[in-house]
Amino acid sequence: MGASFVPSDSETLSQTSIMDLRHRLREAEDTLAAIRDGEVDAVVVRGSAGQQVYTLESADRPYRALIEQMQDGAITIATDGSVLYCNQRFALMVGVGAERIMGAHLSQFLSLDAMRAWEDLNQGDVRDRAGEFAVLRFDGSETLASVSFAKVALDDLSEPIVCGVVSDLTATHRRSHELRVTNLRLAQEIEERHRAEGSLQLALDAAGMGSWDLDLASGHAHRSQRHDEIFGHRGLVEPWRLDQALAQFVPDDAARVALAFEEARTSGVIEIEARITRAHDAQLRWLRITGRTFYDADGRPSRIAGVVADITERRAVEERLRQAQKIEAIGQLTGGVAHDFNNLLQIFSGGLQLLEKGEEEPSRRLRILKGMRQAVDRGSGLSRQLLAFSRRQSLHPEPIDLERQINNMREMLERSLRGDVLVTTWFAADLWRVEADPGELELVVLNLAVNARDAMPDGGTITITGQNVTNVDESLQGDFVRLDIADTGIGMSAEVLAHAFEPFFTTKEVGKGSGLGLAQTHGFAKASGGSARILSSPGEGATISLYLPRTQKAIAPPAAPPIELSHAHQSARSTGHVLLVEDDDEVAALTAELVAELGYVITRVATADAALGALANGRLIDLVFSDVMMPGTMNGIELALEVRRRRPDLPVVLTSGYADAAKRAAHREDIRILRKPYSLGELRTAFDSAQMARL
Amino acid sequence: MAPKSSDVDVDDVQVYRFKLFVSGSTPRSARAIGNLRKICQDCLDGRYTYEVIDVYQNPEATGLLQIIATPTLVKLSPEPPRRIVGDLSDRRRVLSGLSIPWT
Repeated sequence: MGASFVPSDSETLSQTSIMDLRHRLREAEDTLAAIRDGEVDAVVVRGSAGQQVYTLESADRPYRALIEQMQDGAITIATDGSVLYCNQRFALMVGVGAERIMGAHLSQFLSLDAMRAWEDLNQGDVRDRAGEFAVLRFDGSETLASVSFAKVALDDLSEPIVCGVVSDLTATHRRSHELRVTNLRLAQEIEERHRAEGSLQLALDAAGMGSWDLDLASGHAHRSQRHDEIFGHRGLVEPWRLDQALAQFVPDDAARVALAFEEARTSGVIEIEARITRAHDAQLRWLRITGRTFYDADGRPSRIAGVVADITERRAVEERLRQAQKIEAIGQLTGGVAHDFNNLLQIFSGGLQLLEKGEEEPSRRLRILKGMRQAVDRGSGLSRQLLAFSRRQSLHPEPIDLERQINNMREMLERSLRGDVLVTTWFAADLWRVEADPGELELVVLNLAVNARDAMPDGGTITITGQNVTNVDESLQGDFVRLDIADTGIGMSAEVLAHAFEPFFTTKEVGKGSGLGLAQTHGFAKASGGSARILSSPGEGATISLYLPRTQKAIAPPAAPPIELSHAHQSARSTGHVLLVEDDDEVAALTAELVAELGYVITRVATADAALGALANGRLIDLVFSDVMMPGTMNGIELALEVRRRRPDLPVVLTSGYADAAKRAAHREDIRILRKPYSLGELRTAFDSAQMARL
Repeated sequence: MAPKSSDVDVDDVQVYRFKLFVSGSTPRSARAIGNLRKICQDCLDGRYTYEVIDVYQNPEATGLLQIIATPTLVKLSPEPPRRIVGDLSDRRRVLSGLSIPWT
C-alpha cells in the first residue's frame, strides 16, 4: 500500500480518491474477513526484532505429520534440559507415553555421553553435534541410537532450543553384530580345521602312513612328506602325477593299481595291496593303498583321497604265521599218519613173513602180494598229498573247482585223522566256481577237519558238502557257494559259540591247539569276499559253513607238471648198462632188482664221486640213475650236470622221495626226476624217455 | 515456476507483476500457487510475471508491503496496486479485486 492518506481541510476528495479509498477499505474488510473465517495460514506481526510469523494450528499439519510419521525420534529440548516436545517414535523408543516424556528432564532418556554433547551445544558456540549414544528405556534397558543435535534460535526474545533427531541403531547394530559373530565363528572353524589337519598328519606320521589327495581333473596329487618317503624319495617330489606313481609299481601290479583307481571313480573306494620298487634302494616293497572318492555337486568324481602304508614287514609276518599254522596243522596229523603207515608196514611185514615161510598156494600168494601192492598205493597216495600240502605256497586267489580241490585232499583227511573218523563228501552237480587261494583253502579245511575229529573222541562222521546258494540274508546278497564241514561231535555251547572265531580262543587243553584255526577260517572267508558261520548246540555236533562268492572266471588249466611222467608207452624189454648211484644199501639192492627186471645190467656206486670215477674209468654206461639226496659234496642234480658236461650224450634219470627243492633246478636243467615210490612201469617210461631224448 | 522476463515490455502491452506471499508448504499455499498460475495462464495471455515468497524463510519481505496474513497476493503493476487474501479459489473475486479486466 502506499503511505496513509490524510486529506487536508482545503482539499476536496476527488472522484479517484474516493474510488481508491473505497478499494482500500474493501481490502481491509476482506483481509479481516479472511482472518476471521480462517482462510489464512498465518499472521505476520511486526515485532521488536522484525517481522514475526505466527502460524495457525491447522496450517502446521503437514510438518507435524512429517515429524510424527518419520522413522526417527524427534525431540526439542529447552535450555534447562527439559523436553519440550517429542514425537511418537521417540516415545516408542523409550517405551513410555509421550506425555510422560514431555516436561521431564532429558537426562532421564539419554545417556551421560549424550548429555555431555547436549551441554556442549547448550552452553558453547557449537551449532550441531552428532554421535552414537544410548537411549535409556523406561524398563531400565538401553538401546543404541544415532543422535543429531542442532541449536535453533526461535527468536531473539527467547533462548535457543536444541532439536534432536534420534535414529534407532538396534536393527542395524544387530545385523552388523551378527555379521561380526559369524565372521568370528568362521575364523574359529578355520583355526580348528587347521589344528585337526595338523593332528591328523601327526597321527599318520606316527603310524608310518602317508596321505594323498588326487585331483581327478588335473591328475596331480597333493601328498604328505611321509607319502613320498614311502615311495623312496627323500622329500616331496614335484610335480607328482598318477602315471608317474604307477611307474614305480612292478609291471605285474601296475595294471592292477591303475584299474583299481579307475574303478574307484564309480565304486567310491579304493583298497589294494601292490608292490613297488623303492626309489632310493630299488628294494621290493609291498604297499597298501586305501582311499575314498569325493564327488562334486553333479555327482561326478572330482577327487580321490586316502592313505598309503608300507606293509612289507606285516606281510612277511603274516606269511610266517601262515607257515606256522601249516606246520601246526601237519603236526596235528603226525599221530594219524604214523598210525596209518604203521598199518601199511604191518601189511608188508605180515605179508613178507608169510612169503618167507614159503607159502606154496599160488592163489594165496597172489592175495598176499595184492594186499601189499594196495598198501603201497595207499601209502604213496597219502605221502603225495602230504607233500603237496606242506610245500604249497601262498598264491593269489584264483578260480578253483571246490569239488576237485577237496577230493584231492580227501585221502589225506581219511588216512590222517583217525581210524574211527569217517569222511564223506557230497557236491552239487553244477557247483559254481569260487575264487580263493587254494593253499589257504586246504589249510582251512584241514583245520576244520581236525577240530571235528577232536570233537568226536569216540569216533564219528565228518560230512563235507558244497552247494549253490543265492541271497542268503541281508549281509550275504548275491550268488555264493556254501561249503559245509559238519561233524557228529560234542557240539558247542552258546558261550563257546560267541567266542569261537576269536583268535587264540580254544577249548582244548594246553599244547593241543593254538586257537587260531577258526580265526584263520573266518579271515579266509572274509578275505575271499564271503563269510563263515557256525551252527551248533551241545550234543548235536557242529556245522561250519563257509560262504564263498561265486566267480564267473574260468579255471586256468593246470600247468603241466614237468616232473610227472605219463605212462605213455610200454616198450619191450630194454637193454643196456645202468650206473646206479644210491647210498642206502637196502634201497640200492631193491632198486637193482627192479632195474634188472627191466633187462638192464647194473653197476652200483654209493656216492657221486664214485659215479664220476666209474665213468672216467671208461666203463660202458648207457644211463645214470641216481638219487637226488646224497651225502657228500655233490647231490644228484650236481652230478647230473657234471655228467652232462663230460658226457652230453649220456642220459641221466634222478629219483627222489622229496622232490621239492630239486624240482625247480631239475626243471631248469631239463633233468627228469622220478618220484618215489615208483612202479616198474614208471621206471621203464623214465628210462625210455631219457634215452630217447639223448638220441 | 513463474516465467521470468528480463526486460519488461513497456509498450502498449500491459505486463502484470504479482507477488504471492505464502507460509511454507501448507495446503492453502499450494492452492494459492496453483490458482495463481491458472489465472495467469487463462486470463493474461503471457503478459505476466510473479514471485512466490515464503514468509517463514523471508519474513522481512512482509514489512514493505505490510502483509499481515498469508496467503496474500499483491498486484504490483499495472497501477493501482491491489491485494487479496486467501487461497485465490474464487476467480471472480480475484479478478475483480485485482482490477484485472475480464477477457
